[in-house]
Amino acid sequence: MSSVTIRGIKKKYGSTTVLHGIDLDIGDHEFVVLVGPSGCGKSTLLRMIAGLENVTSGEIKIGDRVVNDVPAKSRDIAMVFQNYALYPHMSVYDNMSFSLRLRRQAKEVIDKKVRDAADILNLGKFLDRSPRQLSGGQRQRVAMGRALVRDAHVFLFDEPLSNLDAKLRVVMRTEIKALHQRLQTTSIYVTHDQIEAMTMADRIVVMNAGRIEQIGTPLELYDTPANLFVGGFIGSPSMNFLHGSYGTSGDRAFVEVAGGVQMHVPANPNATVGQDVVLGIRPEHFELGTPENGVEGRVKIVEPTGANIQVYGQIGATEICAIFLERHDFRPEQEFWLSYPGDKVHLFDAASGARL
Amino acid sequence: MTTKLKRSLIYWLILAPLVVVILFPFGVMFTTALRPRDELFVYPATWLFSEIRWSNFSEMWVKTNFGRSLFNSLYVSIAATAIALLFSIPAAYAMSRYRFAAKGAYRNFLLMTQMMSPIVLVLGLFRLMMSLGLVNDLNSLVIIYAAFNIAFTIWMLQSYFNSIPRDLEEAAWMDGASHLTSLVRIFLPLAVPAIVVTAIFTFINSWNEFVLALTMMRSSDDFTLPVQIYSQVAGRYQVEWHHVMAATVLATVPVAIIFSWLQRYLIRGMALGAVK
Repeated sequence: MSSVTIRGIKKKYGSTTVLHGIDLDIGDHEFVVLVGPSGCGKSTLLRMIAGLENVTSGEIKIGDRVVNDVPAKSRDIAMVFQNYALYPHMSVYDNMSFSLRLRRQAKEVIDKKVRDAADILNLGKFLDRSPRQLSGGQRQRVAMGRALVRDAHVFLFDEPLSNLDAKLRVVMRTEIKALHQRLQTTSIYVTHDQIEAMTMADRIVVMNAGRIEQIGTPLELYDTPANLFVGGFIGSPSMNFLHGSYGTSGDRAFVEVAGGVQMHVPANPNATVGQDVVLGIRPEHFELGTPENGVEGRVKIVEPTGANIQVYGQIGATEICAIFLERHDFRPEQEFWLSYPGDKVHLFDAASGARL
Repeated sequence: MTTKLKRSLIYWLILAPLVVVILFPFGVMFTTALRPRDELFVYPATWLFSEIRWSNFSEMWVKTNFGRSLFNSLYVSIAATAIALLFSIPAAYAMSRYRFAAKGAYRNFLLMTQMMSPIVLVLGLFRLMMSLGLVNDLNSLVIIYAAFNIAFTIWMLQSYFNSIPRDLEEAAWMDGASHLTSLVRIFLPLAVPAIVVTAIFTFINSWNEFVLALTMMRSSDDFTLPVQIYSQVAGRYQVEWHHVMAATVLATVPVAIIFSWLQRYLIRGMALGAVK
């Protein structure tokens, strides 16, 4: 097991720059998730750590060793691929033992390691089958098993669950997390699914357009997103953004949003009166209020999910979404009053997108 | 009658003329090869004959030096196939996996060479082989056949290699395999169906080639089967048609049977189950 240190990593394909200088420290035993929309460079970064892509400039260290010019086979890293990449002409047993056989380990050692891994992953009775005889979830587990038998320094996961159906994805998500808690191997996990990132990570790295937007624990990212992008990316349904201008009256501060509605916010020393700002409120932080403590809204569409009720509506001229756990009876075009706790609002500079 | 049956009947009716054109020469070949000599030229011609004369084959074998030609044909075809594959597998792998300068031009060049008929090159090739001292040497045919087939085999292999997921090799590297190990233990086993198909094509092309073999081979000991059979017809005072046809049967049927059996292996989609 090892730490991974990334310093000023850049990647260029011809004249296109894919990564603009990434710095990242991943501690021993840590489970770090790289998350971002497709094309943000997260897979490229992972493949560079794996040794499958060249490093244009910068430095990658695994433990104390700089691995920029170490070929993939000598980095002692295990990787789980998005499409599993099982060797189709080999049985499950041979797939899992391939790396050990390459290292010329003793037959008994190989057998023990493969069977141990198979036990952990519930693959015991499939060892003689070929990959094509397995379901998606089982193939996924074989791919994990191939990584497990290795006792590698670092595990890399490249969107390993995106080929599974929704239900299985949730199951495997928990399994991978449980496995990490048990083995404590340093893991780097790439996904575009923010729920996967939130549920599995010790720390999340949010990437966008070849840059890191924010690094933090899941709850840090949720509670204090550093900018508009992170605010919008983390959380589902995503954060409501209301564009407007910051103002004060007496000791009270507000944001006047489109449609002339004044929404109260805690006074913010970083904001100046008249500044164009974006007010962010998560759907789950809206509460049903009164004319005294809330802003007026109008219901457009009501979507009950059972666990909660999602209401799509408008405040002033801005479309918003609100989630209520209580079973209110909303009707389309109904007027309602929405309140929100002052400590749950986020204020961003409209020009730079940075948190104020 | 069910619509399905009706449909197949119509399809077969449409196909029938084609089938006749294809099968008729084979019919003539078989019936002539098995006929007693004095029934060859009965008038009106008939498909039937008094007895099946298997001895036509044994007589022909001795008279036409068939064994020698068979060996020549096998040697030339197998060697040409092996050499063509030896060169085209690495070439196709490089075309499929690496980026290098003028890759597109190289692909086009390969395609262009396929548009030329060997016969326009025959004179030049003959002079080339003269200067190499390879006229009347079977190895000249090996070289020429391999060369003529390489463009096709590269093209064919490359399109199949493209369909083998790169991830598999990358997974092997991550597992600690060198490029060579991953090539031999992961990539090539998956490429077997494509290699078999291209081998079959190259073999058949070499097996059937006539013009170049006729040009390069002077002595009858070095004749390949097509030339040997041709020599039983051309410039003869008397043509033993039953021997000629027996020879053509022996030259075509075993190869056809072996390859129709081999092609079962082509259909098995080996890469299935590798990736979703």
